[in-house]
Amino acid sequence: MSGSQEFSKAEKFWMSFKLYQLWRFIVLSIKVYIAAVQSKWK
Amino acid sequence: MEIRMAKVVVIGSGFAGQTAALYLGSKIGKKHEITVVSNRDVFGYVPSWVWVGMGHMKPEQTIFKLKPVYDRKNIRFVHAAVTEIHPDPGDQYIIETEIGSGQTVRLDYDYLIIASGPFLNYAGTPGLGPENGYTHSICTLPHAVKARDAYLALCERMRKGEKVKIVVGTGHPLATCQGAAFEYLVNIHKDLLKKGLRDKADLLWLSNEPELGDFGVNGVQIKRNGHILRSEEFIRSVFNDHGIRYQVQTGVTKVEEGKIYWQNYQGEEGVTEFDFAMLIPQFKGQPFKYIGKDGSDVSSKLVNPAGFVVVDAIYGLSYEELAQTPEAWPARYQNPNYPNIFAAGIAFAPPGPISKPFTNKNNLAITASPPRTGMVSGMIGRVVAMNVIDLIEKGSMTHEERMSEMVVACIASMGDSLWDGNAVTIVMRPVVPNRKKYHNEYGRDLFISHLEMGLAGAWMKFMLHHTFIWKFKGLPGWTLIPE
Repeated sequence: MSGSQEFSKAEKFWMSFKLYQLWRFIVLSIKVYIAAVQSKWK
Repeated sequence: MEIRMAKVVVIGSGFAGQTAALYLGSKIGKKHEITVVSNRDVFGYVPSWVWVGMGHMKPEQTIFKLKPVYDRKNIRFVHAAVTEIHPDPGDQYIIETEIGSGQTVRLDYDYLIIASGPFLNYAGTPGLGPENGYTHSICTLPHAVKARDAYLALCERMRKGEKVKIVVGTGHPLATCQGAAFEYLVNIHKDLLKKGLRDKADLLWLSNEPELGDFGVNGVQIKRNGHILRSEEFIRSVFNDHGIRYQVQTGVTKVEEGKIYWQNYQGEEGVTEFDFAMLIPQFKGQPFKYIGKDGSDVSSKLVNPAGFVVVDAIYGLSYEELAQTPEAWPARYQNPNYPNIFAAGIAFAPPGPISKPFTNKNNLAITASPPRTGMVSGMIGRVVAMNVIDLIEKGSMTHEERMSEMVVACIASMGDSLWDGNAVTIVMRPVVPNRKKYHNEYGRDLFISHLEMGLAGAWMKFMLHHTFIWKFKGLPGWTLIPE
């Protein structure tokens, strides 16, 4: 996508490749949770 | 020391009001009187109304009754519409009209939390809205259901071979909530693809944002592979990839049957034709009457001209000054003239826009207003509730969180399928750029901020729907789920 203003075939592949997306789901969930929990103790 | 029983009244039961009520009820509900006044007797999970609005989710899957939850949490519920607030010390109460009986009732308070959500100002744009106009909305559940029916009828026309024009975006030059409208549009794209009708529809994004991907927060910027990726190029790629046309820097001024009238930054006037349009209206504060002890109007001490509650922000700064002053954003959401009145969620008056404001040569201000929905509302609801608890138990407040410090996550789904769905996941810290803390031109934490599209986002959206409804029902472990 960088500069091309459209997603490349490789990017589209990774967006729907389920094993990779499972990994991203875990990473994103942890990232969102940690970031949100930080604010909870203020 | 014996503490007198305090009366805390929360107006509203959306993200902010419900969060505040749950914390108050759980922590002090047995010792003090917590009352929620709301004109709805159900909680509505607004983020999923995008799916209701196109027939992918039943309305009843997004709501639940409030009273059983409040009964468990030691909260009194009054199903009524608030009409007046009497804030003067010594005689502080609200007047509400009970839904059903129509009876007018007085309710005294020691602490008042105004979390009344937005007043949807359809009248601000002639011809806008599903009731007295020609466009649709997904801002309330009945409106989302109406949008669904119209959209499905449109699909039938497409099945018969008709080509249609669909316009989604903002319906007022000062509207906010572009994220929800964006999500609705990309869901329509995905739905039409699945129905085999995509080639029958011309999709247009029509928005008051200064550039694509602004979303009222001056865009999102992240660091990826050593380069800065901006939401502008990301969203542009999404639209190019999906064949969605876009027009930003545009303020809608009037709607007629099948026609949207607008002006842009250059001051040009134009007309866009449509068969189906979902346009977000301007948000204003609820039109309560604020009455002093002597019967005078004390609105100016409580709300700004748009009806939003004035809080501990620094108001009156220019956009440039505000952009360099993160501490101008409120920390405790407390009214300076009436310290026992707080505002949470959309109800509080922001000190100014986050997006760059613009006024065209015809003197029309076209500016994306700051969003204060979803996670932001929930966080403010918690901060306000914890401070009210502090005041009751200790006499001083210990909690604060500015939008210039808050981290938020937003997920814009593109289809609801767990097999081939897709979603844009956005994590942003802080919501309001803070150039004093983050020394880059964007004022954002480029390590935490995140922008990604993929199936994982669709799973997260599904997970959030269920975990948040669990949380808002106050079921076991609800406090472990962040706002």
